[in-house]
Parts: sequence; C-alpha cells; structure tokens
Amino acid sequence: MRNSLAALLTCLFALSCSDSNSSSGGADLVVYCSLDQDLSEGILSDFEQRTGLKVETQFDVERNKTVGLVNRIIAEAKNNPRADVYWNNEIAHTLRLKNEGLTSAYRSPSAEGIPASFVDEDGHWTGFAARARVVLYRTDRKGPVPFKLDDFLDPAYAAGGAMAQPLTGTTLTNATALSLIRGDQAMLDWFEQAQAAGLSFGSGNADVMRRTCNGDFLWCFTDTDDAAKAIAAGNPVAVRYLEQGDGDMGAMLIPNSICILDSGKNQDAAKQFVDYVLSVEVERRLAFSVSQQIPLHEGVAMPEGVAVPGTDYKVMDVDWAAVAGAISARAVAFQEAFVK
Amino acid sequence: MIPLSGGRSARPWWSLAIVVTFVAAWIPLLPLLEPLIRFDRLSTMLDARTGGLLWRSVWISLLSAVLTIAIGWPYALICTRWKFPGAGLFRLLMPLPLLMPPLMVAQAWFGLTGLTGMTATVFTFGVCYAPLPALLVARSLGKQSAASFESAMLISPRLAVLSMLRISLLPALIGGGFAFLFAAGDFAVPDYFATVGDLFHVYAAEIFGHSRNADFTAGATASLPLVLIGLLVLLGNARLLKSQLGYESGQGRHALPTKAKGLANVLLPLVLLGLIAVLLIAPLLQIYYETGKQGPQSERLWSDVSRAAFQQGITDGRSSLVRTMQFAGLAGLLCLVLAPLWAHLILHCRNRWRSVLMILLCLPLLVPSVALGFGSILMFNQPWLDQFYSSLFLPALLIAGRFLPIAVFILLDIMSRVPDAQEETAALAGCSYLQRLFRYRLGGHHSALWLGAGLVVAFGARELDFAILLPAANSSAAVRYYNALHFARDNFVAAYGIILVALLFLPVMLHAWWQSLRNKD
Repeated sequence: MRNSLAALLTCLFALSCSDSNSSSGGADLVVYCSLDQDLSEGILSDFEQRTGLKVETQFDVERNKTVGLVNRIIAEAKNNPRADVYWNNEIAHTLRLKNEGLTSAYRSPSAEGIPASFVDEDGHWTGFAARARVVLYRTDRKGPVPFKLDDFLDPAYAAGGAMAQPLTGTTLTNATALSLIRGDQAMLDWFEQAQAAGLSFGSGNADVMRRTCNGDFLWCFTDTDDAAKAIAAGNPVAVRYLEQGDGDMGAMLIPNSICILDSGKNQDAAKQFVDYVLSVEVERRLAFSVSQQIPLHEGVAMPEGVAVPGTDYKVMDVDWAAVAGAISARAVAFQEAFVK
Repeated sequence: MIPLSGGRSARPWWSLAIVVTFVAAWIPLLPLLEPLIRFDRLSTMLDARTGGLLWRSVWISLLSAVLTIAIGWPYALICTRWKFPGAGLFRLLMPLPLLMPPLMVAQAWFGLTGLTGMTATVFTFGVCYAPLPALLVARSLGKQSAASFESAMLISPRLAVLSMLRISLLPALIGGGFAFLFAAGDFAVPDYFATVGDLFHVYAAEIFGHSRNADFTAGATASLPLVLIGLLVLLGNARLLKSQLGYESGQGRHALPTKAKGLANVLLPLVLLGLIAVLLIAPLLQIYYETGKQGPQSERLWSDVSRAAFQQGITDGRSSLVRTMQFAGLAGLLCLVLAPLWAHLILHCRNRWRSVLMILLCLPLLVPSVALGFGSILMFNQPWLDQFYSSLFLPALLIAGRFLPIAVFILLDIMSRVPDAQEETAALAGCSYLQRLFRYRLGGHHSALWLGAGLVVAFGARELDFAILLPAANSSAAVRYYNALHFARDNFVAAYGIILVALLFLPVMLHAWWQSLRNKD
C-alpha cells in the first residue's frame, strides 16, 4: 500500500512539475484570441520571436462563436482580470466589451490607411482583415443563383439554397444589421418566408458550405473564408456578391477587431502587439492564408481572383455600435424562432 | 461498523475526500445554486417549444440507451462467458469505442452511410456508449458464482443461460442509464446530424443557446429540467445497483467461460466481429480515408494529403496532446484516491444519507459544463489564487470532480459484494484504514479502480466546454480538434482524431493485455 501511495504521489509531483509554462505569471502578454487557432498561432509566434516577449494565448472554439471568450473576459474582470489584448474574429462582441467599460483607447500607428468606418472614433477598437458575406454556388449544375437577399424568398431560388441559422457568428451579426434596417419583426417574417419558400437552414456557415460542396445544395449563403476553403479543396464552386445593383445596399463586410483591455497588466506589450497585428504585413499574411481574409489597408497585395471591396463590389454601410447594442436581444428572438 | 480511532479510523480519510470534492466539485457550483434551485421557473421555462425539445431529447436518449444495451449486453455476454478463438481479442477491444469522440463517430457514419437526422443521432450514441453496459455486464458475469452457474447447468443449459441473463440484466440497465445521461446532455452530435441533414434541435441546444448569454447562469437555469431527469436516472441506477447485490456474493470460485462447440464456435466470433466492425473498425477506417479526401478537381494524391494531415497533426497538435494527457491523467490519479474513499463512505452511510451524498456527488456531472466553467472562474480567479487558477491542477480537479461519480459507481458495485465481516476481521487484526480499504475491500478488484480512473481520463480528454474556459486547459487537444472541425480543416481533423484515439487506446489496450496475461497465470 505504501508503495502504491508513493508511486501515486510521485506521479502527481511529476505532472505538477511538468506544468512549468501554464501560468500566466511568466508571460509578458496575455492575448485572448477568437481567430482560428491555426491562422493566428503563426502570427503570435512570429511576434514572440521578433520582440522576445513571451505571449500566453487563450483561444475560443468556433462553436462558441466568440461569445465564450467575451463572457470569460467579463467574468474574470470581476475579481482578477487576466487578458491584456482581445483579438476578435468579428466586431460586435468587441463593442460589447467597450460598452461594459473594459477596453482602453489606443490609436495604433499601424491603423493608418484602414477606412474610418472600421476604426472606433474613441480609439477603443480597430478593424482589420475582413470576411464578406457571399453566395457560394456550384458551377457544374444549372439553376438559379440569387443576386439579392430577397431572392431567398422566391421558391425558384430558395429550393436549391441554404444558409446558417442566425444564432451565432457572422450570420447573427448580418441578420442583426439587417433587422436594424428592416425592423425586428420584418426580419423574423423574412426568415419565416424564406423557410416557407424552401430555403434550408444549417447550423453554421462551414456546414452549409460543406453540404454545397457535397452536392446537397446548388448554393449557400456563407462567408468568403469558407468559400476560399471550398475552392482550395478542389470543389466546382464559385462566389457571388449580393446586392450589387444600382441603389442596392452592397455585401456585408465583417472585419477582425482588436482592442486593449483596460485592466491588462502589460499595457506596453499590448500596444506593441496591436501595432504588429494591425500591420500591412499581417493583413497580407492573412490574405494569403487558407481563409483569404480581405485586407482593409489600401493597396495590400491579394491572392489572384480575390475581389477587392469597394472596387470590385459594393460594401454595405453598417452602424456597428447599433449592431452591438441589438445583438443580444436579437440572438434570443432568433433562438426562439429557430430552436424548436 | 467497528468504531476505530487514530490511523485505523476511516473518518479522517472520508473527511479528506469530502474536502477535496468540495473544492473540486461543489465550490464551482456555488454561483449556480440560485439559478439551479429556482423551481418556480419550471412552469415558465417549459412552454410548448421547450417542452417539445425536452421530449425529443428524452426519447432520443431513451432509444440510444436501449440500443447501447442491445449491442453491449450480447457482446459482453458472448465474449465473457464463452471460450472460442479470438474471445480474448474481442474482450480487449470492448472498451475502445468509448474512447472515440462521439463527434468523430458521427462524422464517420455520415461519411459511410449518408445517414442523418434523429435516426443517425440515436445510432451514433448507441455505438459510442455500448461499452458502458458491456463493461458492467462483463464485470458482473466475471463474478458469477461457479456453484450457482454449475448447478443451473446440471439442470439444463437453458437455465444456465437464463441465470447469466438474470445476473447481467441490472448491470446492463445501469450502463444504459449512464448512456441516457451522456446522450441527453450532448449537443455536438445532434447538431452535427442536423447540419448534414434535415434540421432538428434537442434540449441541449436550448441550454447551449442560453449559455452563450451574457448572464452565464441562464445556462444553468435552462438546464434545470435535464438536471432533474438526470438525477432521477442516477437514483434509479443506485436502486438497481442495490438490487443487483442480491444476485452476487463475490465469494468463492467464479464461473469459468464455457467452451463453444460446433456451429457456435464459428457463429459467436462472427457475431462479435460484426459488432466490433460497427463499433470500431468501420468508423476508424472511414476516418482514416478522410485524412486524404479531396474535392473532385483536386490534383493532389490521397496519400500525399493524408501524410501531410498526419504530419500537421503531430507538429501542430503535439503540445495540445501532451497538455490534455497531463490534466486528464492528473484527474485520473485523483480519482484513484477519491473514488474508493467515496464508494466506501457511501457504502457505510445510512440509506437516507446515501441518497443525499449520491445527489451531491452527481450534481457536477449533470449541470452544463459551460456553467461549471464560469462558476470556476468566479470562485477560483482570485488574485491570491493566481498560480492555482492558471495551473494544471484546476482543470484536473474539476474533471475529477465532474466525472468522479462514474468511478464511484463502478467501485460501489465491486465493494458492496465484499462482506463487511472480511473488513471487520482486518480491523480487529489491527490493519490501518487504507489497508482495509485497498487490500480487503478492493482486494483483487483493482482493475475496477483502474477502469474507473481510465474512464475519468477518457471523458476528461474529451471535455471541451469548461476546458476552453480554464487557462491551463485552453490549449487542449479537444479544443484544437473542434476548432479545426468548425473551420473545415477536414483532413487535419481526421488525422488528429486518429492520433488522439490511438493515444487513448494505448493504455487501455496495454492494461487489458496485462490483465489477460495475469488471468492466464
């Protein structure tokens, strides 16, 4: 018995000793990051190599669609804030942090050249490397592919199409922005009519993209990063930007966003990191990654065949503060409409 | 029980178990208590929509539990009580499907059959959790008294088979009960099948939706109906466990497997081969195929893509795998100590207290893990606990606290078969408490202790929702796997899934192999 206990204690000791790098105590910077782990890891490690700073990164799972890390930042802020920087793969929940009073103002010199609509007027957040909402359609099948959002209500289009339920991520942000333009009830009615017209609803953008690639649908409404993966994997698919006619609102562009947290213990390192992430170099790197994120700095090189916002297609104007204010209530309303 | 003092008394050890469990399992629940006890909300919570979701969850879980029993019970019965070529190998493979992440199994069966919707959900849960009844049935049959079996055999072989069925019915139901619990709380598998096929929702989606709410306790409140159903199932399981004791004494010689003759010698291995093909071989082969799968216009070779995916799995995912094994292993080690103490304490409690303790012990398993994660942040993220909060100990403690009831259930089953007199004699002979517990109560059943701890490790390694919220568990293999899945890194996901499963399989296979060698000796 004594031998077993001794062996057990030795194991416990060995495992606890092996935990040398888990504590943020040794880190020079703590970054909470919602961007896809395999896209952001390289950028984080390059930053470490260049600056010699040790960065502890905490990731979110896509299933939580950002909300997990944001809620965690809010919960941790109550007793012992840990994060210095929050790198969000969308924007609405960054504004939620600003509204909670958890962010601090910082105007990064690297943000120069990013359109003003993607930079907070108080300097609390900056947008970069965006995704656009697009229709991905099969090129090997004949059938009508929508040009406008209201085409989704026409059974001729809807029967072959799919989109994610507006419960999370960019679809929720998109639906919230549209509900601000059309009205809350009108947007719920729009979804009901689309469903009645035969539009299929999946649980996420990547999922409807996969089903389109598998041939279940002729087209799907998704993000450019999912579309880029589908094309790179050799599927016979192409992209269409919606709402591009005269007087149309344009395609929605949802950027990554970054902010410094007010309670962070490493403010200087945080500023250095924000400068690096907002640089043209990182935007170019994300543009040439598998998800082909769209640079917001003017003139950044882009992969062949990737459309330039504002030049190749019209971009929708979005009041991000209003979207952030409405998104939680919209999420509940959409949950009640869809989860049954 | 004989009152003892000093090192011979059980009380200090039981107190230690309660204190550790208080930290590991109950402290994170404190912020959730208020929303969890708002029973008045039940009436408003269960409107027609949520009532429909709950009902769907219940019957999906019920059918899944029935399927686990339908697969697991005959599997265990055949490979435990009959001797034929390959029986040992089938016994060795029995626990392995439990170690495969259900989402991976779902992907594999969708790829193989195109099956979607609720049928596919029930099938996946049935396949994933079939080892639960199988393991409990095998354990129970392995302890069947030789005298009773041989007497039945003398009267008629049919009676002998009936006696085997009777002795293994309750363990099969207990295993089915656990399968019900896991199926009812699972969000990922129904979500996956709703995604690839026609959309449907289960009650876990409602909890998940509320857990994303700014008020994180909303998830705990929404989970109340499932918590209550889960408690009922667990109390039912405890009742079944008690009834089971009437069938087994655990004393004397155990019945040996019967040699299969004639057609049975061919048919029995074929049946098991069919079952293990469904449980293990087919999904693994499909996932392996997916490591190199590409679109029709791709010019890359399957082998190149597959090799690159495995390489990426090892280079990018190695540190996450090591981290997962560290905190899950630590949780398993904690359960090696805590589970026997708890099982012994519950065994010696009065009936009323026994139920209370079981409920308290099971509560962390029943509440949504996201809520448990946020509870931990609120309770443990204090400036004076900074080192502890960001260390491996926190996820290890929480995993141990959450999955401890599984290990305790397994040990309760074993310990309750050992007569009190044996332990009391040891006490009179001056044995210390730990000696009495581990040598005389657990005696030759240490494999049950390892099984319980192994299950804690396996479930801990698969844990996602609260692991992601804790600093030291954030870079776990499960987080990397789910991230890659949602971002459509399909080849990497398949390769990484296989690496993860192989890592979990290895100790179980080695342990089972070692056991079979010992049994031969």
